[in-house]
Amino acid sequence: MKPSSIKYYFREGFSGLLKNRLMTVASMATVAACILIMSFSYCMVSNLQYMLSQLEDDIGIAAFMPSSATAEQVETVKAKIEAIEHVTDVEYVSPDAALEDLKQELDADDILAGLEGENNPLSNSFNISIDDINNQPPVLESLNAMKTAGELENIKDAHSETEVLVKVNTIITVLGVLVIAILVVISVVIIVNTIKISVFTRKTEINIMKYVGATDWFIRWPFIIEGVLIGLIGALIPMLIAWPAYAQSVNMIYEYFPIIQNMVTFRQSGEIFAILLPFSLVFGILLGVAGSVTSIRKHLKV
Amino acid sequence: MINIDHVSKVYPNGSAGVRDISIHIEQGEFVFFVGSSGSGKSTLIKLLLKELDPTEGIITINNVVTNDLPREKIPYLRRSLGVVFQDFRLLPNKTVYENVAFAMQVIEAPSKQIRRNVPAVLSLVGLTKKSRNYPSQLSGGEQQRTALARAIVNNPPILICDEPTGNLDPGTAWDIMDLLEDINRRGTTIVMATHAKDIVDMMQKRVVTLRRGQVIRDIQKGGYGDEAEFN
Repeated sequence: MKPSSIKYYFREGFSGLLKNRLMTVASMATVAACILIMSFSYCMVSNLQYMLSQLEDDIGIAAFMPSSATAEQVETVKAKIEAIEHVTDVEYVSPDAALEDLKQELDADDILAGLEGENNPLSNSFNISIDDINNQPPVLESLNAMKTAGELENIKDAHSETEVLVKVNTIITVLGVLVIAILVVISVVIIVNTIKISVFTRKTEINIMKYVGATDWFIRWPFIIEGVLIGLIGALIPMLIAWPAYAQSVNMIYEYFPIIQNMVTFRQSGEIFAILLPFSLVFGILLGVAGSVTSIRKHLKV
Repeated sequence: MINIDHVSKVYPNGSAGVRDISIHIEQGEFVFFVGSSGSGKSTLIKLLLKELDPTEGIITINNVVTNDLPREKIPYLRRSLGVVFQDFRLLPNKTVYENVAFAMQVIEAPSKQIRRNVPAVLSLVGLTKKSRNYPSQLSGGEQQRTALARAIVNNPPILICDEPTGNLDPGTAWDIMDLLEDINRRGTTIVMATHAKDIVDMMQKRVVTLRRGQVIRDIQKGGYGDEAEFN
């Protein structure tokens, strides 16, 4: 490939965009629309997953020791639980602390009065956090083994809630991937057709090029550059719309429904677009290139 | 230079384009392919350009057997063949100069050489003054001269013309023929398919007459022949 040819490819690629203005705008709009819808789906899925993971964090396992347990036994059992795989944190709750929590929760100091110290019916317990909600079953198994050994008296887990959350999470992920996959297919089909029309208008040109001895790649390059430009600009436009729009929407939700912040938080726009922006640009470019290459293939056979 | 050896072309629908044709063309020759429409002239031209492949026989151009030429080598074969068509096939959005320069850009010629050769070939065909015009602003004869300039600007050893005067009035047609004879005198082999009887008769060159896909006459210095023979 000679420098003069590279210059020619770029000049032809750019002038191709300008000469077929209607097609250019149509192709760019197609890419832009597809990427905009895709960004929207991604923001939704990403946030739903993020919220679920926040809920998951709140779900832990509580383990109670027999009331007869000594301080020494408490230490050994704590160490044992910490040693279980997937356990990230074990928080010891003394009977006194548990009573305080209970008082606060019930808001009924008088009923619980007189139960402090010696009279405290509550036992030593642990709040156990695990790394991933999906790893709850094996951890429970180990804890149950300890229960059988008499080291623990009772185990409380949020079994049913966990299962629902895992199911919801899976459904959202599958749906999200499905929606995005369908959009990818649709946009490829549309872009191929748009570029096909633009190539058709230049059929004579390609034909003449073949007759004077142009190689296939010499004919392809300007179209590829054209495709890259269409894809790049087509991807940049929705990003320029979606990024500020997302940041603004999150701000507005927080502002008008401040209560929501107590339950869940949304992902930062920077976090989302750190993934979405490069993906969209690469996807746009690939879309443009795939479109141009497939649509000129037929005309090269002369 | 060009050797067509027992070549047949049967189209997928079963109709025969040419049947068992053998023609040998030496370097520097000027050959007319004549015959009525459907005689196989166009098929023969397409076979030479490797737009079609023969179903039987061997075509050799410049000592290269083109039958089994791999796809990626075809452009290099075409660079040794200048082509002129009846319908000119100029790029409407490029000027005369750009149309001719285009043929050189396509084969990745250095821009210095392009700037030198294009004006030279335009003056040869007498279009120096029209070099900035677009095809739509030219007469038919001028358009065909532009196409001719494009065909010879890379100095191909062979020039293939498919009815180059078909869309031109007689006077303009003769201008083109004068140019072709001039180009031939410089050593370029010319193969021209035509049914312009007066031109063939006047030129007194080699004439290959085709009928229903077969060569029925091949004479060194001749005329178009008897019309009755063609039917």
